[in-house]
Amino acid sequence: MSRSCCIINCNSRSHDSHGKPTGKEIGCYRITSLKRNCSSHVSEVTKTRRMAWIAAIQRPNITSQNTPAHRFVGSLGHITVKCKDLRVIQLEITGMEECLNIASSIEALSTLDLVSLMYPFFYRPMFEVIEDGWNSFLPQNAFKDLESMTDEWRLSEVNKDFSLCPSYPPLVAVPKDFDDETLKKVATFRHGGRFPVLSYYHKKNGMVMMRAGQPLTGTNGRRCKEDEKLINATLRPGKRGYIIDTRAINVAQQAKARGGGFELEANYPQWRRIHKAIERYNVLQESLIKLVEACNDQSHSMDRWLSKLEASNWQTNVKEILTTACLAAQCIDREGASVLVHGTEGTDSTLQVTSLAQIILDPGCRTVKGFQSLVEREWLQAGHPFQQRCAQSAFSNSKPRHEAPVFLLFLDCVWQILRQFPCSFEFNESFLVLLFEHAYASQFGTFLGNSAAERARLCLPEKTVSLWSWVNRPQELERLTNPLYEPNSLVIWPSVAPQSLLLWEGVFLRWNRSSKCLDEAYEEMVHIIEYNKELQTKVNSLRRQLAQLETEDPLLHTP
Amino acid sequence: MEFAEHIKTANVEDVVLRQPLQPPSRGTLCITGHHLLFSDREESDSRQVLLLLRNIDAIEKRMSGSSGTITMKCKDLRVLQLDIPGMEQCLNIAHSIETLSCLDCVSAMYPFFYRPVDLSLPEQWGLSSPEMHYSQMKELYEKWRLSTVNRDYSVCPSYPPAVIVPKSIDDDTLKKAAKFRQGGRFPVLCYYHKKNGMVIMRSSQPLLGANRKRCKEDELLLQAVIEGSDKGYIIDTRSMQQAQQARMTGGGFESKSFYDRWKRFHRQMERGKALQESLIKLVEACGDESNNMDRWLSKLENSKWLSHVQNALSTAGLLVECVERDGHSVLVHGSEGTDCSLLISTLAQLIMDPCCRTMEGFLGLLEREWIQARHPFQQRCAHSAYSHARLQQESPVFLLLLDCVWQLWRQFPLALGFSEALLLRLATEVYASDYGTFLCNSDQERCALEVKERTHCLFRALLRPTERDYYSNPLYERTELAIWPSVHPQSLQLWKGYFLRWTQQVRHLEEAQEEIRNMVIEWGKLARS
Repeated sequence: MSRSCCIINCNSRSHDSHGKPTGKEIGCYRITSLKRNCSSHVSEVTKTRRMAWIAAIQRPNITSQNTPAHRFVGSLGHITVKCKDLRVIQLEITGMEECLNIASSIEALSTLDLVSLMYPFFYRPMFEVIEDGWNSFLPQNAFKDLESMTDEWRLSEVNKDFSLCPSYPPLVAVPKDFDDETLKKVATFRHGGRFPVLSYYHKKNGMVMMRAGQPLTGTNGRRCKEDEKLINATLRPGKRGYIIDTRAINVAQQAKARGGGFELEANYPQWRRIHKAIERYNVLQESLIKLVEACNDQSHSMDRWLSKLEASNWQTNVKEILTTACLAAQCIDREGASVLVHGTEGTDSTLQVTSLAQIILDPGCRTVKGFQSLVEREWLQAGHPFQQRCAQSAFSNSKPRHEAPVFLLFLDCVWQILRQFPCSFEFNESFLVLLFEHAYASQFGTFLGNSAAERARLCLPEKTVSLWSWVNRPQELERLTNPLYEPNSLVIWPSVAPQSLLLWEGVFLRWNRSSKCLDEAYEEMVHIIEYNKELQTKVNSLRRQLAQLETEDPLLHTP
Repeated sequence: MEFAEHIKTANVEDVVLRQPLQPPSRGTLCITGHHLLFSDREESDSRQVLLLLRNIDAIEKRMSGSSGTITMKCKDLRVLQLDIPGMEQCLNIAHSIETLSCLDCVSAMYPFFYRPVDLSLPEQWGLSSPEMHYSQMKELYEKWRLSTVNRDYSVCPSYPPAVIVPKSIDDDTLKKAAKFRQGGRFPVLCYYHKKNGMVIMRSSQPLLGANRKRCKEDELLLQAVIEGSDKGYIIDTRSMQQAQQARMTGGGFESKSFYDRWKRFHRQMERGKALQESLIKLVEACGDESNNMDRWLSKLENSKWLSHVQNALSTAGLLVECVERDGHSVLVHGSEGTDCSLLISTLAQLIMDPCCRTMEGFLGLLEREWIQARHPFQQRCAHSAYSHARLQQESPVFLLLLDCVWQLWRQFPLALGFSEALLLRLATEVYASDYGTFLCNSDQERCALEVKERTHCLFRALLRPTERDYYSNPLYERTELAIWPSVHPQSLQLWKGYFLRWTQQVRHLEEAQEEIRNMVIEWGKLARS
């Protein structure tokens, strides 16, 4: 087999004549056989989905529909490439035919839908993998930490073949006294089988945060004794807990008609339910589209910019999510109560709330490794459908289906906290920007697929490289660590006043402001801090020498 | 003036003080002629709050039963609250604060009484004088001279005694030209661009009036400025329409027919009342506690403050464009030439001239452009955003300048030798100060009141070693290039350090900056030892 480059007239091949991969990193290959046999399939998915095999041409992926993709002046063609990381690139190509060929290649290849054709499956690392990221954050290891703090939880294998809940990982933490049979019953009562599982254990007071899908009460108020027992088991005697529903009360009411619903006070007397309105799905996607449009507005009018910023509602979304996360954290830390978080499916806003609450509460999540572990636990394992949500970004003008910048909003919220507590995080803004880029287009397999089940089916650990393998090398870590970091074991309460939330320039204005001066300043700061550390060690060693001399030579005291 | 007659109750025990970012504390309140002093009763770490009464912009009192609450809104945007037992005492205190905080008599103000033990009154007040400035600028000698035509303030009451003018123009011509300009502010040199010998001049509007008067001497003066060059630019900080309307009231603009080698631009910049109202709206928005993002953003937009910042920076950019890129001299004026003209000439110098970006350079620039060239500080800064008093001459032009400088600082963190802290300090001092620098409306008034003999100078104080360490930018690296700010609305931000200074969230950032500054200071010590 010989995969030739998709660009017509390009002679590069991905495999040599013996069918061995040539190992070249850059290239844009098509698989001729596949094109012949499945052309209808390919063209169908091409229309509906766009994804980043094109990473081979230019790392970021490409959408090119909502601009004149190519226009011609004489024999010179222009292609405007609008990337998912919000960069806009112009290509000038001589020769009309070449230009058209390139444009159609880009269009076709940027929207390939078949996961197994995506770049991570073709990418071979050019670096030495020191620690395989696929094994860095196994649920078993995370559970060992939990075991050291409490014996009230166990690791259940009830979902080991993904049959009970397709979006859960094979191993989940549940209260010790509940056997797998009960869990199976509870799973039938929760949306998508997402029965309540442990998300976070607050060491300070033993309170917990759980997450789930909505209960399927329906219009006739169905109840499930096992579900009630399960969540009651997490309460201390005489204590009440909080259920945080990420939907407004009327949205939750409406959900009943479609078989969903919420926990009724009568059946859950020990729980107080709080409704918070976090936007989801296409509302968020539209908000992102409007924001990016505003950021690229060239009209030079301050009023227009501010009113567009307001109309995008992005900052409102950031504020709502942060507020809800603070509420959850407050219930746990201040009120000493356990919390259950859910919305409808429990794969979007629920995860935003539980993960942000952990950043607020747990200093461990504010380290580089801890944050990776959090993303792995609360987003990848917990079944956030990355592939659906991040299929398209703000420039695409095809009708959004499952796309929503849920993860980007989470990163934005983390950035807001990081900005308010610049010394409390071991990582810096670049790390967050990096995660944003890789969630939308990556040479690594980490963000492929929609759930642990899909990832297992695709054999990602065997066939692709993990993002963490690359990030956790000293030379990368150096770039991503925060020079100001000082471990802070306290809970950090961010301000959620609208005045204190800023637009995340590092993402949204990244390509239209010159960050050269800011970068220089940052480097200078890093330099200062490093030099300071050096001096400190020098001072310490001189002090030691002096002390030694003084003890050895008593004459020094009496000259 | 006897302050005692305004103070019926000087001391009150058992008062509760509530201030932002700190827990309430109980202690003794004391009112003096210029200060409000609060001392904590805790003996372990006795905290004192010393507040200049001049700093108080508005007070509100509320009585309940036998006690009262006084809310004091300060000109530095801080809001303090005092709970005072005893109705009569409370009323007395409120009355004293009200009267003493807005005394009109300049010579009764605190700078005339401020005598710190470690400082004696300076021999020289201020950093420099027009004479010294001229003598340091050897490049000027060939074509420019220092004129003392205004030595007794008779030609132009708002100019300093010495000004720099073209060498070929004699004092008599200047006197005649001065009659043709509002307030006698004839065109004088404010900046010489060493790279290409071009200059920035500033003046006030010409007094054409409805019948299009002309003045040969004024034309001659401007002609001399662009001697040897093909043309010059005039930047009028009013819109064309405003400039035309000004003719009805005796003002106007340089018409093409009489100044044929000058090309005129009109750039409308907001001034006076509109600017003050913008500030009031912005501060109101910043204090909004409704926790609603849409409301905040639309209030921010409605205040128009950021538009004014953008406008000021882009007009300054135009000025720099003319001088640096286009290589021509420029005359800047609006109507009086004491507000917007100063704003954009200052910003332009900061953008072009690396010497103005050091701490001395910046303070020297402020002294030349704002103190000597006369911005009427006393009128403009009599009240800030909280005052209920009817607006008269108030306008936050200087604050707008500081905001623009902050935007520059944020976009070029390495290029300025001073830090945000200096801008904050200046923003506070301009409204209420221990120092005499921002007193009065002009040099003439300052001389009449002997400000220079009887008060301390803020700029000199800021350059003392301890203060200088605190206000300098640890990241500073001199660059010879012009620093062109981005004026895209997306790249301008609200100056949180000032407008949200008293809210919780800014503090962590300050701590991080403090940390870096400490490191740099430590090195300094190590290097010396």
